[in-house]
This record gives sequence, structure tokens and C-alpha cells, in this order.
Amino acid sequence: MKLSSFLQLPIVLASLLASSPVVAEHTSNWAVLVSTSRFWFNYRHLANVLSLYRTVKRLGIPDSQIILMLPDDMACNPRNAFPGTVYSNADRAVDLYGDNIEVDYRGYEVTVENFIRLLTDRVGEEMPRSKRLLTDDRSNILVYMTGHGGNEFLKFQDAEEISAFDLADAFEQMWEKKRYHEILFMIDTCQANTMYSKFYSPNIIATGSSEIDQSSYSHHADNDVGVAVIDRYTYYNLDFLETQVREPSSKQTLSDLFNSYDESKIHSHPGVRWDLFPGGEQAGRERLVMDFFGNVQNVEVDSVGNATEFEEDLLALGRKIAEIKERADAQEKDLKNVSSPEPALTSSHSRRKIRAAKVQADDKSWGKTAVGVWALAGCSMVWWFGSHMESK
Amino acid sequence: MSASAHATPMVRPRVESASVPNEVQSTTDDAPVNAVNATPKKKEPPPEKPEHIRLRILVISSWWAIIMFLGLPVWWYTTTIYRASLPLDEMRDWADGRVCRPVFPLRISIEADSLQDHESQHLLRTTQHALDDLNDFSAHHLRLQLSPPTNASVSANGISVEGGDEEVALKIRLLPGTETKIDLQAYSPILDVYYTPNQIPSSSSSSSSLATSIANKLRELFAEEQAMIAYLLSTSSAPPERSPKALAPEVTDSLAKWTTRSMKYSRTYHLTFSLFTPTAVPSSWDIEAALEEHMKPLLDSFSSISNFTIDTQVQLYATPGVSGSVLKKADLSGFINAAEWPLSPSIGGAPTVNFIVYVGDMEVEGGGKSWLIPQWGGVVIQSDITDLRPAMLIFSNQLMSLLGAPETGSLPLRLLTLIRVRSAGLLLKASGTMGSLARLSDALRSISIPKSVADGVYTTIEHLNQACEGLGGKEGLENARIAEEAAEKAFFEKSMVGQVYFPDEHKIAVYMPLLGPVGVPLVMGVLKEFKAWRKRRMGGV
Repeated sequence: MKLSSFLQLPIVLASLLASSPVVAEHTSNWAVLVSTSRFWFNYRHLANVLSLYRTVKRLGIPDSQIILMLPDDMACNPRNAFPGTVYSNADRAVDLYGDNIEVDYRGYEVTVENFIRLLTDRVGEEMPRSKRLLTDDRSNILVYMTGHGGNEFLKFQDAEEISAFDLADAFEQMWEKKRYHEILFMIDTCQANTMYSKFYSPNIIATGSSEIDQSSYSHHADNDVGVAVIDRYTYYNLDFLETQVREPSSKQTLSDLFNSYDESKIHSHPGVRWDLFPGGEQAGRERLVMDFFGNVQNVEVDSVGNATEFEEDLLALGRKIAEIKERADAQEKDLKNVSSPEPALTSSHSRRKIRAAKVQADDKSWGKTAVGVWALAGCSMVWWFGSHMESK
Repeated sequence: MSASAHATPMVRPRVESASVPNEVQSTTDDAPVNAVNATPKKKEPPPEKPEHIRLRILVISSWWAIIMFLGLPVWWYTTTIYRASLPLDEMRDWADGRVCRPVFPLRISIEADSLQDHESQHLLRTTQHALDDLNDFSAHHLRLQLSPPTNASVSANGISVEGGDEEVALKIRLLPGTETKIDLQAYSPILDVYYTPNQIPSSSSSSSSLATSIANKLRELFAEEQAMIAYLLSTSSAPPERSPKALAPEVTDSLAKWTTRSMKYSRTYHLTFSLFTPTAVPSSWDIEAALEEHMKPLLDSFSSISNFTIDTQVQLYATPGVSGSVLKKADLSGFINAAEWPLSPSIGGAPTVNFIVYVGDMEVEGGGKSWLIPQWGGVVIQSDITDLRPAMLIFSNQLMSLLGAPETGSLPLRLLTLIRVRSAGLLLKASGTMGSLARLSDALRSISIPKSVADGVYTTIEHLNQACEGLGGKEGLENARIAEEAAEKAFFEKSMVGQVYFPDEHKIAVYMPLLGPVGVPLVMGVLKEFKAWRKRRMGGV
């Protein structure tokens, strides 16, 4: 489809473009999978997340685009009767740990702060690319969270909690900076639907396992492992994904997924929020499951035929250009040798680098010291004043 | 048994001993009751000495003074969120496109040594007229100028890409010939126009066929660039009257595809060339020579826009995600076995472009053997890898697409266009980031804004101004790039984490243990003292 052929056409059609946004497709898929609870008896939350990790990987999202947060290591827990493995089913058919799993945030790294930093990409220079959510305005993101929660909060590691407001603000910041195209937010926790109730950014479809004042339940326990191994909501999601979405070319829609929820089996009322999505429920229901759980791009197959000739030209041109440029550069250099301007920019750059080698320069340390001294002095003055009065 | 037998007698004395003080107390309580009965009124304590009262007031007020002048400031200082002041209005103006109106005046110089001065002047005027009639997009217009004849010797060699102070987008050389012919030189941005002597416009005529044909050719050459810039402007938040003529839907589709395909601009890209083979052979390929031979020249010509780093790898026993001798187009995105192939882009900080040669003889429906994955890279299936030339040619073409270069025109023109399109894109992106930051700092009042963010914003605005003035050239690109970098850095400032939303009940829960024990005696002390003072005054009066 050569552009030039269209440009020759008389351009008459008016007023179509300016207002109507072009329906853009996504070019990459990302998954953020978060378990937030620690300790052996929360085995099922890690199993939930790992099952989903396995599914999205099977459907084609590469490890580099999956952010996996595991606060505890069940596979190596001394209480685990099957060391080195994690199962999400009592039949123990699939070892979720396997030999190819990339955990991005582990143990005490799984904190509210790190999670928010991940979403908003406010991380230091030292953070490796594999631990960052490098999405853009063409990325679809699946955010899956599981753990113990309540009305408008989700506990992280029994130590802190993320509120629905924090999460909504984080998504808003992502939207502001055009860091996603569409988000599917899934959460499996008690009173899960309250967690997405505060969202206000567009292009988000949110679903949760249970309504306010409703608990989410585990599905079944493995008697040899000794604890529950998976939650109901996640179990039935996975059931659908594993039986209905078998290969990346699947055409199952979100409507099919949500219709598969059976409240009598899940034992709670899963909710879906459509109002943030452009086109509302109708448009959202038509979205493919693979738009969020897989990694499908619209590839462009090169045409056969006359392409090679054109490419040969290109190559020859490139070479010639390089040659010409070299000559031009040499000339320029001769000119510049006479008077060499503009080293200012590069030098300031390098100076800054040296400074960055310091871990963290605290430029307010003097102020802090002053406050400390003043506080101490105040205390001793009070004490002195008190004893003075007493002696009177 | 014995333990419980022992336990009961031990409990009993304790109960008894506990009851004893109660009895004692009740007997002592009797005495005051009798005393009250004896005297009709409660006995007042002896009057306080004035200095005692003064001392007590002093104690209370000193405590209050400490709370007010030490406690409150310390509390205030330690709990306020530092918010550097940002030029919010200016930032919003940039985002809404009110400050900068991106204009691309492309200078096109005409070299007409063979013509008389007045003839060439006239030709220039008529051509410019013809151009202006054709053009309906004011942000992108072509300006013709006569090049000074001194440049003639240089440009004849095809070296002068930038003649004079102003950067020239294209040079037109008017050459006498036997027939009318317009030729775009392949290696440099020069348009050769051959004309027959009878085509020289007479000074009386207001139009000429030569002028019209030059104008048409110029328009054709820059049509794609114009459409690209128009598209960029229309998708940005610039005021609608600024965005140009509506583009035809086909053009819009094609441009939407272009934005989908091309990578985000970066100063450096990382290219990974990978050979995947399903068996143990071939275990090596002559990639270094092939890159040197076929890739290097192209990359060099890109040097003013982006730099490239390259690495290569060979993977044996690699199975693709899709099997079969004929691949369906729908399955192609699953061909890359993301779970097993080591294509992790975590090398360095630059975005990675992947190029993959897969050894095999499968083909895509319809006979193609290579495809491009938007914003990711390209794949070529080739059964024999002794000659890498075809693969490299395809890759270089795919690279051009991925970097966002236009599809038509000669390579130098495409590169120059890319510079302009990229600077426009960066300018709009940085302006957009300014707007985002302004809205964010308004919306999230509890987020802290360190000074570095304000610095970044000022740097961005400064360079945006410079970029806006010098749009179109390399300077413009450089400034736009610095502006964009500074804007990103300001937006993604590490310490600006708007975490921890505190509901009011949380705040009360935090302050209660402090305010209870400290606040109650303080307030009660004041109240009591005030009561006593009033009583004294009433009594005194």
C-alpha cells in the first residue's frame, strides 16, 4: 500500500479527521501479575499468580513484557512437601515453577511503593529494563492482583496496604503520560470490586471477584500440600483460558470470558466495570481475550516481486551517501578546527555523570541538621527552665 | 489432683486479703460522711497566694508557648510537602499549542546559471505562484530562492547538502537540454530540470509550462512529508483551526499504519541480528562481513538522526511458535517463540530492534518469506545462509520503515524528511508532557515536586523555544531532543511518587495517641485557670 498513490488523488474529503480519533491498534502486550501476600498459608495466592503467568506466557507474551511480583517463595518453603514446585491443582499435573520462570520483584521488594513506582515508571537509573513497565500509547496491559483485601484496600505483605485511590491515581498518571492503550484490570480478593470503584481514567476494563462485604473463597485444598491451592475466581478464569483459548489465533471475546462466570460455582458475585471504556459495555465485550492475554500484532508481510530491485537501490544509495557524508564531514572538520564552538553542552553532561556516581546526594542535610539541633536545644531549654523554677 | 488441691487454698487467702482493704476503706469513708453531716457547707481550701497563681499561669503558658512556637513549626515543617513552583500557565500553553506554531518553511534554491538574471527571477516568481496555489497547508510551505552563483562549482560535485547559512531542503538545477525532463538525483537532494530554450517564460506571461511542471514535481516530492506532518499535528492537541486540510481517509489509514509501525524516537537504537536454526547446523554465519558490507553504509547515513549499536547471536535447536510449511498470516505474530528464544531487550538503555533469520524453507501464504513486526523488528526465512545479501537488503528496508522514514523519494530526501518529521514529533511530545505534568500537579495535591522537576521544566521550555524557531534543520532536531529528554526526566522524577492516599480516619488514628495525652491536660489546664480567674473576678467585684 504505497502512500504516494493516494496522494495523487484529489483530496476533497473534509472534516473527517480532526474530530474523530483514529481507531488505533495496539502493538505490544504487557502483563503485571501481582501476589501481595506472604506466608505458607497464603500458598494459593502465589499459585493464582503463577497459573496466570503460565497462561499469558503460553499465549505469547514474552518474559521481558511480564512483570511478576511474588512476595514469598513457596517452592522453597520448608513446609512444602514437594520442594521446588508449586501446584495450583490437587492433581498436581502442572508444576507452575517449572524451569523457566522469571520473577521480577521478589520477597520484600513487593511493596506498595515499588508497585506504584512500577506503574508510573518513577524509578532510578539503576533499575534494569527487565523490572520496568516500558509501555507506550500502543500497549495493552493486563493487571492481575491477588491477596487479602477489604473495602477499598488490598494488603501488601501484612505490613501495608494500597488503597483504591492510590491505584486510581497511578492509572491516571499512566494515562496522562500515554503509557497504555487499554488496560484489563483483574483482582481476586475479598470485596474486590471496591478496588476498581475509584478508577477514573479512560480505556480501562475492570473486573473483580466479589462485591462489597463479600468474601472470595478458595477453590480446593491439596491434602498433601496441606493448604488451599487456588482461589475460586481465578480457578474459573483459568478454566476458561485453558479450555477455550487454546492457541494465539483464538477469537474468544471478553464477553465469552465474563459470561463463563458461574456465581454458584465462584460463591461470590464477580463484577465488571465498563463505563471507562470508550463505547461502553458493548465495545468492551467485543474485545478479544487475546488482546490482553496474548501478544498478537498485525504483521506486515513483505510482498515478493519487485521489492529486491528497490532494495538494491537503497543499498547503493546508502553507500554513496555515506561516502559523500564522509567527505562533507572532513570539510566541516577542517572548518571547525579553525574555531571550535559548542563544547559547552557535552561537558555539562559529563560533569553530571560524575555526580550521579554518588548514591544519593542529600542537598537538604544542613537543614535537617539545623532542625535536629534546634529540637535538642529546645528540649534542654525546657528541662533547664523546669529545674530553674523548681529550685526557686 | 494434688495440684488443684494445692491451688484452692492458695487462692483463698488472696481473696481474703483483697477484701480487707475494702473494709478498711469503707470504715475510713465513714468519717468524712459524718463530718459533712456536722458542717452544712463543704470546707474550702485555704486561699491561694497570688504568687502561686501567677506561677501556675506561668507554667501553663510556658507549655503553650512551647507547643505553639516549637511544636507547631516543627510539625508543620516536617509534614508539609515541598512543591516547587512550576510555570503552569506556560506549560499548558505549550501543550495546547498556543506558544509554538510549528512551521516548516522549506527552502528550495534554484540554480540557474544558464539563464539571464531577470529570466530566472521571473521563473522563480511564477513557480512560487504555482506552488502557493497548490498548497493549502500553511504550516508546511516551500520557499524558492535563487542560489548565489558562487556555490555552483561546489554543488556540481553534489557535495553541498547545506549550502549557505540556511539549510536548503532541495536544490533545483536548471540545465538547458533538448527535451523537458525532471530528474531527482539519487545521491543528493538535487533536482535536475532540463528545459528547451522555447520554454523560458517571457517576462510578460504570468504562467509557464516549465514553472507549472516544476511546481507539480515539487509538490509530488513533498506530498508525503506534508501529509505526515499534517497527521502529526492533527493527532496532537493543537487547536483545530491550526490543523490543516482534512486528509483523505486512505491517506489517514496509511499514516495510522505508519505511526503504528515506526518505533518511538531514540538517540540510540540497539540492533540485534539473530540466526535461529531448528537443528545443529549451521552453527555460524558470516554476519560481520555482511553487516559491514550492507548495513554499515545505511546506518552511517542515519548518523545525524540516530546512532546504532549492534550485536548478533546464533541459536541452535530453536523451534518456532508456529509450525508447518505454509504459515498463515494470522499466525505470524506467534512465530516468534517468545517463551524460549532469548530476545530479551534488557541490554543497555536503548530500545531494541530485532532482526531474525530463521533457517527453513517454509513460506507465508501467498509466497512471502519475510515480514515486519511493528515496533519490534523483522523476520526473514531463508534456507541457505551462505549469501546473506538478500536478507540484509530486506532488513535495511525494514529498518527504514521501523525508523519511520517516508516511503517515497530518494534516500537523501527521505532522511531530510525524517529529520523534520522527527523534530515535529519530539516537539509535540515534549509539549504534551509539559501539559501532562501541569495537569498532574494540579490534580494530585499530595504529590511532592522537587526542585529538579522545576529545573527540568525550565530547560524543556527553553529548548522548546529554540526548537520551535529552528524547526526543519538539524539544530531543531537537536533542541527538540534535549527538550524531550528533559521533559521525560522531569515527569518521571523518582521522588515524585504520589503514593499513600490517607483517608481522614487514618489521620485521626495517627494523631489520636499524641493529641489525647498531650492535648487534654493542656486544654483542661487553660479551662480550669480561666474558670478560677472568672470566679476570682466575680468574687472580687
